[in-house]
Amino acid sequence: MPALASKRRIPVSHLGMADPHQLFDDTSSAQSQGYGAQRGPSGLGYPTASASPQAAFLADPVSNMAMAYGSSLAAQGKELVDKNIDRFIPVTKLKYYFAVDTLYVGKKLGLLFFPYLHQDWEVQYQQDTPVAPRFDVNAPDLYIPAMAFITYVLVAGLALGTQDRFSPDLLGLQASSALAWLTLEVLAILLSLYLITVNTDLTTIDLVAFLGYKYVGMIGGILMGLLFGKIGYYLVLGWCCMSIFVFMIRTLRLKILAEAAAEGVPVRGARNQLRMYLTMAVAAAQPLLMYWLTFHLVR
Amino acid sequence: MAFTLYSLLQAALLCVNAIAVLHEERFLKNNCTVGWGTDQGIGGFGEEPGIKSQLMNLIRSVRTVMRVPLIIVNSIVIVLLLLFG
Repeated sequence: MPALASKRRIPVSHLGMADPHQLFDDTSSAQSQGYGAQRGPSGLGYPTASASPQAAFLADPVSNMAMAYGSSLAAQGKELVDKNIDRFIPVTKLKYYFAVDTLYVGKKLGLLFFPYLHQDWEVQYQQDTPVAPRFDVNAPDLYIPAMAFITYVLVAGLALGTQDRFSPDLLGLQASSALAWLTLEVLAILLSLYLITVNTDLTTIDLVAFLGYKYVGMIGGILMGLLFGKIGYYLVLGWCCMSIFVFMIRTLRLKILAEAAAEGVPVRGARNQLRMYLTMAVAAAQPLLMYWLTFHLVR
Repeated sequence: MAFTLYSLLQAALLCVNAIAVLHEERFLKNNCTVGWGTDQGIGGFGEEPGIKSQLMNLIRSVRTVMRVPLIIVNSIVIVLLLLFG
């Protein structure tokens, strides 16, 4: 009896205005008929009613101080993270690789598919720093490799789906596999560069960018394989393999065989021979990997 | 085609273990028959340390740097493999 009386007190107070301390509608069945009539006005009354307890909360000096302290803590934390993130991920250096525009992307894709007519492969410098990719088509960027990688994973899922072999974890497997091969390539090339003591300005991120360009050819091959079957796949893949081979040789020649290649003289001597072998090996690994990562997708 | 990042990590751990257990006297000394020693390569102070001396330097530095972390990582991996197979 007293419990019922206390429960009945709340809808009585809702008759006139919304109760500011109640956050949720009490939808127990004993009061449902009483509530139906009042849900409209009480719903309208809620925003103004909830604003007043919040305003009352802010006007309280202690909570004001607490909020100011909390926001200053958050600002300090953000500063600390911003200062230290540069040690682990070179954010400012990464920004250089994403400074691209549509014209650059178009020209670079054309270069990746048809590098045979391009004459000057040298990256232009501006007071000791290389020019941003936006202004020079020879500069490496990370936008195209990143986009091409994601597109490759999606197109692989599409190809698997058309053959009824798709399941969501296969997407993750494809992405992980491609990333693992990329990591292995980067480590192998860094090890070889260290062993042959090449004095080069080829940074790790540059290397990742160059090795990521092969995903563009892989996407082209898979798409043609989906449209035209195995013949189309082999034709387009062969063309892209040749293009990537020539592209890599012409780009890496300038980075690894710096002194000799600048004059265009055929290189002799043990040191230059080793560098030439390394360039050829890196360029030859690209078509192999392109085939290895795509042949199981096209049936 | 199950070449994942996890298998790459496993392979890397096994390779570093292999480098760490190389026998010092047989392979990394100067007077052995294979000629893998590092003291011979000091003569070339110029730009040409040569592949063998670079490799020796690399192996020695890996052994020195990774001795303690390898113990820790190996213990963790052994425990995890025993528990979760």
